[in-house]
Amino acid sequence: MSEKRLGMLIDLSLCIGCNACVVACKRENDVPLTKFNTWIESFDVERPDGRIARANVPKQCNHCEDAPCVKVCPTGASYKAEDGTVQVDMEKCIGCKYCMAACPYQVRYQLDSGEVQKCTFCHHRTTEGMLPMCVSTCVGYARFFGDLNDPESDISKRLAEANGGEVLYDDLGLHPSLYYIGLKDIEAMPVASAIHRGGNVMKPYEG
Amino acid sequence: MVWDAFIAIYLFLAGLGAGAFVLGALTNWAKKPAPAMKKIAFIVGPVAVAVGTLVLVVDAHAGFNNPMRFFLLISNLGSVMSWGVIILSVFLVVSIIDLIVLLVKKSTPKALDIVGAVMAVCVAAYTGVLLGDAGVAFPLWNMAILPVLFVVSAASTGFAIVMLVTHLAKPEETEALPFMGKVGLALPVLELALVIVLLAVTATADGSAAAAASASVANLISGPYAVAFWLGFIAIGLVLPFCLEMVRHRKGVGADPATSEGLPSDRPSGASDMTLALAGECAVLVGGFMLRYLVIMAAVAVALV
Repeated sequence: MSEKRLGMLIDLSLCIGCNACVVACKRENDVPLTKFNTWIESFDVERPDGRIARANVPKQCNHCEDAPCVKVCPTGASYKAEDGTVQVDMEKCIGCKYCMAACPYQVRYQLDSGEVQKCTFCHHRTTEGMLPMCVSTCVGYARFFGDLNDPESDISKRLAEANGGEVLYDDLGLHPSLYYIGLKDIEAMPVASAIHRGGNVMKPYEG
Repeated sequence: MVWDAFIAIYLFLAGLGAGAFVLGALTNWAKKPAPAMKKIAFIVGPVAVAVGTLVLVVDAHAGFNNPMRFFLLISNLGSVMSWGVIILSVFLVVSIIDLIVLLVKKSTPKALDIVGAVMAVCVAAYTGVLLGDAGVAFPLWNMAILPVLFVVSAASTGFAIVMLVTHLAKPEETEALPFMGKVGLALPVLELALVIVLLAVTATADGSAAAAASASVANLISGPYAVAFWLGFIAIGLVLPFCLEMVRHRKGVGADPATSEGLPSDRPSGASDMTLALAGECAVLVGGFMLRYLVIMAAVAVALV
């Protein structure tokens, strides 16, 4: 039997950008103000037919198979758990921020106490047989979660239907465990507005 | 921005201390004895690296609040930082022992100086490798170029601080190492070449890194860090010291054409030469800090474009 590798799949065509997952995650994980374990980047795109559409791209830790944060962490605080997820052992973190510097997805942040935190795929829930909070709460059923190494899991079946899905920054070779459906379609369309994150402008519109 | 000026101070001091120690070791091969210069270099070396390390410890404030966690620092030998901790520790131990021997016995075993100098080069290179290993997230932090660039800059700044203090404390010893004039001309040119290569290589990054890479380069040459880059680093840090060294060289040659075969021995002694030298050394130090600061601050992450 192959090892467990927990992963998530987000079908962008089903995401309405309601931010229910963001709020649920913040409550579940006591995420500090101004920080996010998951967030949604919302912006307008110009479709090939010339009409404007809204794009919503949820982001969070990609739980990479070859995680640079785990590689660079000098104390072993960032580690790969047995379920394939990337976790942070708060008791070992010195707050050197090397993991934050090494993450191309920039999903990590520092707590006031100095330790670094990020999305855990709700490790405290999944070990009790529950789904991550963002998956449970998603109103459009856009988020799928399960064992990528089990071909019978919901996520594996959905991925198979979607020709394996897509990942962010595939060419960096980090083998993320966060998959999307429809990411390439959105990336191919010109951005036609500012990009919003958590209600704030993350990148102003330069068009 | 993940890291900030605090880390730039550490990178600067570690490089400066490493370069200073190497110059101290090189005084063993000086034409004229230079005991004061050696002592200055052997004090600056460990002190600068120790202060830089202290800056790191304070910046890592989860560890600062729970100091026992620092003992975990070498638990992941796959991490460049774990190796850095080992390198910094060995350098500090060797250089402090060497300093104590120097102060007690007035001379040091050459072998110990050489071991210290090798560790010093490792310290300087490590500061570049540290950033380079995060290059997957920040395309400006190039693993092939940064370590070499930081070693060259470490030599520049380390030599400059030792020469600066020697000029003030024991000016007659500044000519003890005949190659210093040529080094003062060569290092800025080499550094400039490496920076050009760094920017050129970064600008040609493709795929997911492309946008962040070109944004980083633009930050430096035309964006918010352009003034600091062109004025602070290029003009003050590289061009000015090179020109001042050139002027000193010309003056020296003009003053005594009979002995114009080598650079530094031809130099006139006197207040104006001293002023030029001190100005050049200060400019190198400013440039050395600016380099570290800019490489940290102007770097844009793949996800943030």
